[in-house]
Amino acid sequence: MIEQVAVAIATILVAPFLGGLLTGLDRKLTSRLQGRVGPPLIQPFYDVIKLLSKDLIVTTRAQAVFVWGYFLFTASALVLFALGQDLLLIVFVLAFGSMCLIAGGFSTKSPYAIIGSQREIAQVLAYEPALILAAVGVYLVNGGFAVSQVWSSARPLLPSLPLVFLTLLMVLLVKMRKSPFDFAASHHAHQELIRGILTEYSGPHLALVELTHWYELVLVLGLISLFWATNLWPGLLIAAAAFAFAVVVDNVTARLTWSWMLRSAWTLGIGLPALNIALLYVRL
Amino acid sequence: MGESLVAIAILLPVIAGVAAYLGLPRLVRRAVVVGTGIALGAVAIALAAHERLEVDLPALGFDWSRALVALDLLLVVVIAYLAIRTRHRLAIGLAVAQLAVVAYLKLGPSSHSVVHSTFVLDRLSTTLSLIVSIVGSIICVYALRYMDEHEEHHHVSPSRQGRFFFFMLVFLGAMNGLVFANDLGWLFFFWEVTTLCSFMLIGHDGTPVAIANASRALWMNLLGGLGFAGALWLLEARGQETSLEALVGGSADASLVLLPLSLLVFAGMTKAAQMPFQSWLLGAMVAPTPVSALLHSSAMVKAGVYLVVRLAPGYRETALSDVVAFAGAFTFVVAAVLALTSSDGKRVLAYSTISNLGLIIACAGVNTSLALAAALMLILFHAVSKALLFLSVGSIEHAIGSRDIDAMEGLARRHPKLALIAAAGIISMALPPAGVLLSKWVAVEAAASAGASFKPLVTVLFAVGSAATLGFWSRWLGRLFTSPPGVPTSPVRLGSTYALTLGPLVALIAVLSLGAGVIVDSFLEPGMRLYFGAEAIEGAGIALAAGEASYPLGWLYALALVALGVPALAVAVRPARIRPAYFCGENVGGPTDDEFYTAAEQKVHVGIASSHFRALFAEERVVRWGNVVAIVLIALVFGVGYR
Repeated sequence: MIEQVAVAIATILVAPFLGGLLTGLDRKLTSRLQGRVGPPLIQPFYDVIKLLSKDLIVTTRAQAVFVWGYFLFTASALVLFALGQDLLLIVFVLAFGSMCLIAGGFSTKSPYAIIGSQREIAQVLAYEPALILAAVGVYLVNGGFAVSQVWSSARPLLPSLPLVFLTLLMVLLVKMRKSPFDFAASHHAHQELIRGILTEYSGPHLALVELTHWYELVLVLGLISLFWATNLWPGLLIAAAAFAFAVVVDNVTARLTWSWMLRSAWTLGIGLPALNIALLYVRL
Repeated sequence: MGESLVAIAILLPVIAGVAAYLGLPRLVRRAVVVGTGIALGAVAIALAAHERLEVDLPALGFDWSRALVALDLLLVVVIAYLAIRTRHRLAIGLAVAQLAVVAYLKLGPSSHSVVHSTFVLDRLSTTLSLIVSIVGSIICVYALRYMDEHEEHHHVSPSRQGRFFFFMLVFLGAMNGLVFANDLGWLFFFWEVTTLCSFMLIGHDGTPVAIANASRALWMNLLGGLGFAGALWLLEARGQETSLEALVGGSADASLVLLPLSLLVFAGMTKAAQMPFQSWLLGAMVAPTPVSALLHSSAMVKAGVYLVVRLAPGYRETALSDVVAFAGAFTFVVAAVLALTSSDGKRVLAYSTISNLGLIIACAGVNTSLALAAALMLILFHAVSKALLFLSVGSIEHAIGSRDIDAMEGLARRHPKLALIAAAGIISMALPPAGVLLSKWVAVEAAASAGASFKPLVTVLFAVGSAATLGFWSRWLGRLFTSPPGVPTSPVRLGSTYALTLGPLVALIAVLSLGAGVIVDSFLEPGMRLYFGAEAIEGAGIALAAGEASYPLGWLYALALVALGVPALAVAVRPARIRPAYFCGENVGGPTDDEFYTAAEQKVHVGIASSHFRALFAEERVVRWGNVVAIVLIALVFGVGYR
C-alpha cells in the first residue's frame, strides 16, 4: 500500500518534467525540420511559469471546475497506469477527462470555443473506440486487462497486435494535437478558430491545460511502450520512434476536414483494431 | 410473513390507486400517495433481506387459477375495448388476436399444469422491486407538484389527477407482481396490466398527438404480448411447465422450449423498445414527465430487460444467445449515435435509455456470469440515474418553458439548484467511480472475456457505442453552465416538493456509487450464486480479485474523492476577474452580452447553437437502415428458435 502511494506521488511529480522535456524536444525537432533554430529545449517550462504569473480570468466559474476536472482525471489516469491497473479503467478515466474539457469549452459563451468543442466531440468519437479496442486486444493476448500483467508477461505484444499498434500511433497524433488530426485545437497557432476549444482559457488555467497535456503525452507514450514490455529498452525505443514519427507526420501533412477526419479515423480507429481482434479470435 | 409482504407489495398500490381515483380532496390524495410510497419502500427493503422466498398460491386454499382466468379475460377484453376506441387498425387487430389466444388458452382444452411456486423472489426480483418501490415512489411524490403545474399550464379543469395517480399506483403494484412472478400465467397478466397503464398514461393529456402515440405504444406492446401468449400456448401444447424456473432450470427439453424462449425474448425486446420498435418509446415522450421517468426509463422498460436477463440461463450456449447479444449491441450503438443528433432534452434521454437497455440485453446475450452481473448492475444504476435526469428535465421544462438543450443554456445562473442536479445526473452517467460507467466497464470486460466461441463484433459495437455516449453528455453538461458574466439574475427557489424528491435521488446515486463494491459483494453476488449455481460465479471477478486484473476498489474511491474535490477546489479558487468572451470585435456589454460592434459601429448579435451532426447522421436515414438491420435480427430471433 505504502509503495503504491509512493509510486503515485513519484509519477505526479516526475511526469510533468518528462512531458515538458518531450514537448520542448518536439518544438526543437519541428523547428529544425522547418529550417529554423527553434526555442531552447526547456522553453515549455518558461512558458508555463510565465502563464502562472498572469491574472486568473474566466468567462464563467464553471470553466474553472471543468479545467481542474480535466487535469485531475488525466493525472489520475497516468497514476493508475503507473500502478499497473486495469487498462480499460484507465481508458474510461481518460475519457472522462476529455469530457470535462469538452464541457468546459461548451460552458464558455465564446462561439470559437463552442465550435472547437463540437469538433472535439467528433474527434473523441474517432479515437475513443480505438482505445477501448486496444485494451480489448491486450486482454485477448494476455488474458487480463491489467498493465502489470503486460509488464510481467514473457511475450511482447507487438507481434500479436500490429494493427492495434498502428491505431495507437493515430491516437498519439490526435492527443498531441498534430496534423492531420489537429481538428479541434491545433498544437500550433494555425487555427482558424482562434484557439478552438482553448480560446477562453488564459493565464494559470492555460498553464494547467498545458500541464495536463504533458501528463497525457507521457500516458500515451507509456501505452505505446507497452507493446514491447519484456525489457525496458525496446519499449522506450518504440515510444521514442513513435514520438519522432508524430513530429515528422505533423510537418508533412495538412489538416483534414472534419468529414475526412471522421472517415479516416473510423476506418483506422475502428477497422484496424477490429480486424486485429478478429484475426486473434481466428487464431485462438 | 413473506407472503403478506408480497401481497402488500402488489395489492397496496392498487387499493391506494383506487383511493386516489375516488375524487378525494387534494390533501388526502397527497397523503395517500406519500403514505403508499413510504410503505412500499419499507416492504421492498424488508423483502430484500431474504435471499430467496417462495410463495405458493394454490397452497393458500383459494382457487387462484380461476381467479387468474377471470382477471386475464377481463383484462384482454378491456384492452380490446380501448383499442377499438382508438380506431387504430393495427392496435385493434392485435388486441383482438390476443383476446382470441388468451380465451383459447384459458377456456379451451389444455393441460393446466400446476405451478407450485407462483411467486419466487431472488436477488434479481428484489433489486427490481427496490427500484420500483423506492424510485417509483419518489417519482409519484414528485408528480404531486408536477401535475399541479402541468394542469395549470394546460388549463385542465376538472382535474384529471385522480385518473393519473390511479394508473401510476396500479402500475407500481403490477410491476411488483411482474418481477415476483414465477408462474408465467401470472407474469403475463401483470405484463399486460403494465401495457394498459402505459397506454392510458401516454394518452393522459387526451390530445390527438398523445392518443396517436399511445396507440402506437399499444400496438407494439400488444405485439410483444401476443408473442408472450404464443409462448404460453406453445408450452402448454408441448406439455411443459409454464414457469420461469422450469424454463431456466435446465430440466426442460431444450429443443421444446427454444421457440417459446424466442417468443418471450421477443416480448421482452418490444417492451424494452429495442430496434425496430424504438419509435413507441420516442413517441411516449409526449406524456407528462413523471410518466417518462417511471414507465419509460426506470420501471416498465426494465420489465422487458428483466425478462430477457431472467431467461438467460435458459438459452445459454444456443444460437439465440448470440442473436440476442447482436441485437442488443446493435441497438446500443445506433441509439447512442441517434442521441447525438437530437436537441430535444427528453428525446436525448429516450435514446440514451434505449441505448442502455440494448447494452443490458447484449450482456444477457453474452451470457457469462460476469456479463449477467453487469446486466444486473446496469439495471440498478441506470434506473436511478435516468429517473433523476427525467425528473430534472421535467422541472427545467416547467421553469424555462422549453426542454430543448440549447434553451437550457446558462441555466446555472437563474436556476442554480436545478442545473446542479441535472449536472449531477449527467455526470453520474459517465463518471468512472459512478455506477453506470462501472457497469459499462464490467460489460466490456465480460464481452472480451466471453471465450473463443464468441464473435468479436459485439465488443466492437460496445466500444463504438461507449464513445458516442460521451458526445451527447458532454455537450449537454457544458450548455447548462454557459452564461454571460453580466449582472446575476435573482435565482429561483427550487421548492420543497422538488427538493425533497430530487435531493434524495442524488443522494441515492452517490451512496450506490460509493458503495458499489459493497453492494455487489454482499447483495448481488450471493443472489447470483443461488441463481446461476456455484460453479458459475468463479469467473465473475468483480469485487473479488481475479489474478491481478481486479476491480481496484481503493483507487476508485480515491477517484471519487477527486471527483468530489474538483468543484470544491475550483470554487475555492476565486478568479480575479470574470470577463465576457471574445467575439469578433468590441463587446457591446450589458446583462445578456450577446452582441459586438462591427464596422461603422453596427451591432451584430451572436447566437450559439450546438451542432447535432445531422449532416453525418441524418436521423431519418440512420433510423431507416437501422430498422432494416434490426428487423433481420428479430427474424433471426425467431429463426433460431424454430426447428
